[in-house]
Amino acid sequence: MSLSQIIGNILGPKRAAALVFNESEFEKIGLELKGEIDRVFGRSLAIRELDTGSDNAAEIELNNLGTPYYDVERFGVCFVASPRHADVIIVTGAVTLNIAEAARKTYEAMPQPGWVIAVGDDACGTGLVRDSYAVLGAADKILPVDFKIPGNPPTPTDIIRGLLAFMRAIKKRSL
Amino acid sequence: MAELMTIIESHLVAKGFDGRSRTGVDGTGYLSISVVALVEAAEELKRQPGVVLVGLWAAEAFGAPGFTLFYAFEQRGAPALFILEVRLPGNRGMSIASEFPVASYYQREVSDGFGIEFDGAFDRRRLFLHEVYPDGCHPLRKSFDGGKVVPARITPEREYAFREFGGEGIYQIPVGPVHAGIIEPGHFRFSVIGETIFNLETRHFWKHRGLEKLAEGREANAAVQLAECVSGDESAANACGLAMAIERVAGTVVPRRAWELRTAALELERIYSHLGDLAGMVVDVAYPTGAAPFFILREEILRWNAELTGSRFLKGFIVPGGVSRDIPMDFLEDLHEYAECFLSRFDAALDDIYNSAWVIDRLETTGIVKPELIAPLNLTGPVARASGARIDNRIDHPYGLYSELKPEIQTDEAGDVLGRFQVKAGEIEESLRLIRDAVNLEETGPVRAECRPGSGYAAAAVEAARGQNLHWVFFKNGRLDRWKARTASFSNWLAMEHAVIGNIVPDFPLINKSMNLSYAGNDL
Repeated sequence: MSLSQIIGNILGPKRAAALVFNESEFEKIGLELKGEIDRVFGRSLAIRELDTGSDNAAEIELNNLGTPYYDVERFGVCFVASPRHADVIIVTGAVTLNIAEAARKTYEAMPQPGWVIAVGDDACGTGLVRDSYAVLGAADKILPVDFKIPGNPPTPTDIIRGLLAFMRAIKKRSL
Repeated sequence: MAELMTIIESHLVAKGFDGRSRTGVDGTGYLSISVVALVEAAEELKRQPGVVLVGLWAAEAFGAPGFTLFYAFEQRGAPALFILEVRLPGNRGMSIASEFPVASYYQREVSDGFGIEFDGAFDRRRLFLHEVYPDGCHPLRKSFDGGKVVPARITPEREYAFREFGGEGIYQIPVGPVHAGIIEPGHFRFSVIGETIFNLETRHFWKHRGLEKLAEGREANAAVQLAECVSGDESAANACGLAMAIERVAGTVVPRRAWELRTAALELERIYSHLGDLAGMVVDVAYPTGAAPFFILREEILRWNAELTGSRFLKGFIVPGGVSRDIPMDFLEDLHEYAECFLSRFDAALDDIYNSAWVIDRLETTGIVKPELIAPLNLTGPVARASGARIDNRIDHPYGLYSELKPEIQTDEAGDVLGRFQVKAGEIEESLRLIRDAVNLEETGPVRAECRPGSGYAAAAVEAARGQNLHWVFFKNGRLDRWKARTASFSNWLAMEHAVIGNIVPDFPLINKSMNLSYAGNDL
């Protein structure tokens, strides 16, 4: 029995539909993303996550991509432990003064060509902390950001949708 | 707290010191003393049973020019806080770390922010300002305009001095700030013999975003938005804590219906936070199948959050005066029903863990937090309760509906990872009950009262998933002049350095996950 059926048996169909709202949409985007990754990156996209000063909500959503509801690895997306293994760095948070140096070193450790995606409003430059003395600014202040996925934080579906758009954008660029 | 205030005040007067007491709008006792009386007062407070230093912060131009230090104490069992207020003639204070060891950590924070020196302090290293901040930069001073800081060149002499250990076979393992997983930045310096950790020094504040300064000059609503980004998974708790302090300044009475909905949000936050910890602990002993049900339930709670409040992280829901929107009755009825189906699935997942000998073997006796550390280090929340402390802000300092709902406290005696696992599991079930009891399905009414703070100050403490979060605000003419947030993470990080001693390095992630302390919420 699928999870939506289990929940459907307990709750009214209207609420059950809301709880499992994006299952089919997520599936559809994920399969498209898999197709793009197969073509552009040869079956897997390795991502290094780099937190430069988020409030941790974006990390939680990125982590959620790996949990059973989403299980994003089946689409060829994997989060790796070292920048040396990464095709893409995902930056979350405005860049604080304290972390800036470590963030630069992380980027420099990535093999080229490598890409940088800013995830969340703070990394994209529209967050609440952008005017603080303690931050240099958005991710693009110190790293060459190729793509932005805004949100406070973006949901797992937003992130996967953003990754799909990113893949399409770099494919166009490389042609 | 009147009692404790009277004892300290009369003691000081008998010794020939000055002291003026008053009671704040929130019932907090304030005793204003001079800096020379501070050590005497601290010694006397130390002699009183169950007195814990829960916070220390400074404010500038608090009624008079110059700096004022606030030492917040809690006496176990007494409902109100007691705050010693010390006006400094210059920028020199006195260290009370020999009476209350946690003060050392607080003092370093105050020194960074305000440039106040503490005579007798045994640790004067910088805390949240790393070496990239130039000397003499004290961002919480009023003379600092909040504008951009010109980073200093980091030379080897400026680098942070970790404690050094020498000897045959001793080596150090530096970890972080950028970690190998999808996790926040922090730095851990392990000193190790063989595989056994004999010292750990944590160095945090990589995510210091200057939130307290950023809040200065803002109006109530905008300040609460900032409180929500103290830590993304404590949005409801911090929004509620700051909103409560502001409501006390404004004299706002929050409508009952708003408190019902706030309670639901606060408890949902506790449930999803704890579910993530349970899952994380199980993953860290290499049993992902056992963790899967917790992850599934957690995702469902996040979706409920979105359904009820519009945000998976409950952002924008709690506002000064109440909540930003009512929740339709049929949603709440469904939530009631869901809570029941949740329980049977949750219990089945727990059974699987408790019946797995290899899991229990890793959790048991790992990362013990000794009960004698709780008071001196001001440990709080599940970390303290798993070591036998019967403390919970919802019970000790009830707010909103908690005096009626009477949460049942979950404790354990072992103080190990398993103890924390069990306490958190128990709290999830209790939170489900609280949600069902809090949300009266018959009741309707306004969900937001007017909240216009003028001038004044007040403290409020809430029980976040990680423990007690303390918020103190000082408003001047409707604008925030000083906000101090002391989170449970800030308190509990100190426990980590003790809990890992004698454990093997591979158990560190497990111990870390069992406490699940926030980096953002610590670094502010």
